[in-house]
Amino acid sequence: MEQPFSLTSEVRDGTLIIATSGYVNNVGGEAIAAEFARHFAGGVRRVVINLGGSKVVNSVGMSFLIEIIERLQEAGGKLVFTNLDPAVEKMLSIMGLFQFAGKAPTVDGALGEFAASGGTP
Amino acid sequence: MSDAVTMKMTLPKIPDIELVALEGLDRLARHLGIADAKIAEARIIVTEAIVNALEHSATEAPEVAVEYTMTPTELSIHVRDNGRGFAPEEVEEPDIRSKLGTPNKRGWGLKLMKSMSDDFHIVSDGSGTTITIRKLLR
Repeated sequence: MEQPFSLTSEVRDGTLIIATSGYVNNVGGEAIAAEFARHFAGGVRRVVINLGGSKVVNSVGMSFLIEIIERLQEAGGKLVFTNLDPAVEKMLSIMGLFQFAGKAPTVDGALGEFAASGGTP
Repeated sequence: MSDAVTMKMTLPKIPDIELVALEGLDRLARHLGIADAKIAEARIIVTEAIVNALEHSATEAPEVAVEYTMTPTELSIHVRDNGRGFAPEEVEEPDIRSKLGTPNKRGWGLKLMKSMSDDFHIVSDGSGTTITIRKLLR
């Protein structure tokens, strides 16, 4: 059985890294959005969401991530997804999220892209 | 179809009940020796189907009937709710560009189920909605 949702976060070189574990449903999506909002209010504009610990997600949970993309776009920031299960990656692709967000195999890969681009991969 | 195994369940509307259906899906796959990666997309389809159905099920005694038939190469999924039904052809296909800047970011369930299935049928009337999905387990 999929584990209950939890998340951890850290800020590394000005980039917020949120790592999830367990089922990302409406509660999980809302928790990710709340964690993002807290750091966004403090000026963070680069965000990495590591979904490697979440093999099950639903579209209600993912819809909260559209809100994150929207706010980052308005502020000139960017979101990058990492460690995606292939099925979850396909889901996000069908939803069109990669038109406005990036993806990288790992968190370090995402941070490297941010650094190479001087801020936005 | 001699290798086929069938599972039926009726799910009440309680938080995260779709995970019970996923547990059943995992058990069937394990019984048939199907690798976890091969049912990964099916898990998303089932999740969306049940979450969608429960959201639109009856306000009194809401429940969703789920039936799987799985073979080593194919999964058939039936999901029926006891809601008031809707007109599927009138549901506008969501688009990320139209979601940005608006308060409603939801409404992706049908698109995801259709896009991730190998065959998708929906029948809806005043007594509920039935979704029938075929997914090849490649």
